Amino acid sequence: MGTSPRLPSPMPVAPPALGWATGSGAERSWLSFSMEEDEFFGEKTFQHCCAEFIRHSQQIGDGWEWRTLKDSSEGYMCKTHFQIKPETLMSHSGASACVQTCLPIEEALELPLDDSEVTETTTGSQVIKYEYHVLYSCSYQVPVLYFRASFLDGRPLALKDIWERIHECYKTRLLQEPWDTITQQSLPPQASPSPAHC
Amino acid sequence: MTDDKDVLRDVWFGRIPTCFTLYQDEITEREAEPYYLLLPRVSYLTLVTDKVKKHFQKVMRQEDISEIWFEYEGTPLKWHYPIGLLFDLLASSSALPWNITVHFKSFPEKDLLHCPSKDAIEAHFMSCVKEADALKHKSQVINEMQKKDHKQLWMGLQNDRFDQFWAINRKLMEYPAEENGFRYIPFRIYQTTTERPFIQKLFRPVAADGQLHTLGDLLKDVCPSAVAPEDGEKKNQVMIHGIEPMLETPLQWLSEHLSYPDNFLHISIIPQPTD
Repeated sequence: MGTSPRLPSPMPVAPPALGWATGSGAERSWLSFSMEEDEFFGEKTFQHCCAEFIRHSQQIGDGWEWRTLKDSSEGYMCKTHFQIKPETLMSHSGASACVQTCLPIEEALELPLDDSEVTETTTGSQVIKYEYHVLYSCSYQVPVLYFRASFLDGRPLALKDIWERIHECYKTRLLQEPWDTITQQSLPPQASPSPAHC
Repeated sequence: MTDDKDVLRDVWFGRIPTCFTLYQDEITEREAEPYYLLLPRVSYLTLVTDKVKKHFQKVMRQEDISEIWFEYEGTPLKWHYPIGLLFDLLASSSALPWNITVHFKSFPEKDLLHCPSKDAIEAHFMSCVKEADALKHKSQVINEMQKKDHKQLWMGLQNDRFDQFWAINRKLMEYPAEENGFRYIPFRIYQTTTERPFIQKLFRPVAADGQLHTLGDLLKDVCPSAVAPEDGEKKNQVMIHGIEPMLETPLQWLSEHLSYPDNFLHISIIPQPTD
């Protein structure tokens, strides 16, 4: 999923747990994360933390933005992230190697080229678009992270593809209890185009 | 109170007579007869339509079948909404049976979630139950339960077992003796005339002076356009489980007796029929 700026102290935030979403359009399903047990706080505090989070994100060029809901003081954070999954065949003179990696686009472009002749053919590269929303859930009184993965043409990733791409540290828990770790949901009204209340 | 327990049973055993017809453009090897079924109001479409699927797949070739989905008068039906909510919101002013069209092609990605398995329905159901308890009890009751209790809620719903379900669910309907109700009431208000899918807000069942809030109080606060002005004409029906509760009904009572198995009050605001 990539790294995001940690919330600055003095408001430490436990890493979110997992939710899940797929699909496109208003009725897309989203993955949602929620915090561990005791970290409750109100919407104002959430907004304050988001402001700091966004400020830090801007400093490190991490792409998070704040969106305010129409006719409301409420809002949420969002970020879009593209990841390229190249399936490339790299031949050096003599040896050939098949490399399959999943790199953020910026890193893929920075791969140094060997002096020796390197023929690189990209077969079936796929660009995957991840969209993240961080909303405040007044039901749980915690922030909730929603994410959605799709191809550039809008087709959602299959569930198993999403699960394969989950960070290693969550994978064990995920594979043991996939449906407990992940919640498939429609994006709640807060983050849909129309104004919403929680 | 015996009367109140009857309400729980009436809600649980509510049924909607439904006629399922295969979409005319689906490819069949022979003519597909419509399929009639009494749908439980409190359940979910993909949980109770295995027989519907089998009935139509009998007349189709394997290669023409992909994920089943349902539609009413052009509107794809969200399987993750309870059946009774879908009917009240979309079809309650029409004559019975409820005519649903069955599709096996062209899944509307933009309108519907996929339902890959019964596990997906269970996960969605349990996630709603947990959210409701977060509102009612700061999740204390649901978290104190064992996993087998959670499983019993789901199995009770899946197998239409009222006693099995309520043996556990009654604990989710309790509140401390010193309080007059839950912390907040789990509810969602739906209207087809607005863009927003539903309204959900924090709302307490008891006012600061100890008075019980009513359904009318809730609507005035979160959805004032739905309620007619004092002397004005009634524009809308406020419907839960196919009935219009009196606006004076205490919200706490509604939450305890008219919630769906997911512990939410799913309330439909629909235009007053003109007949």
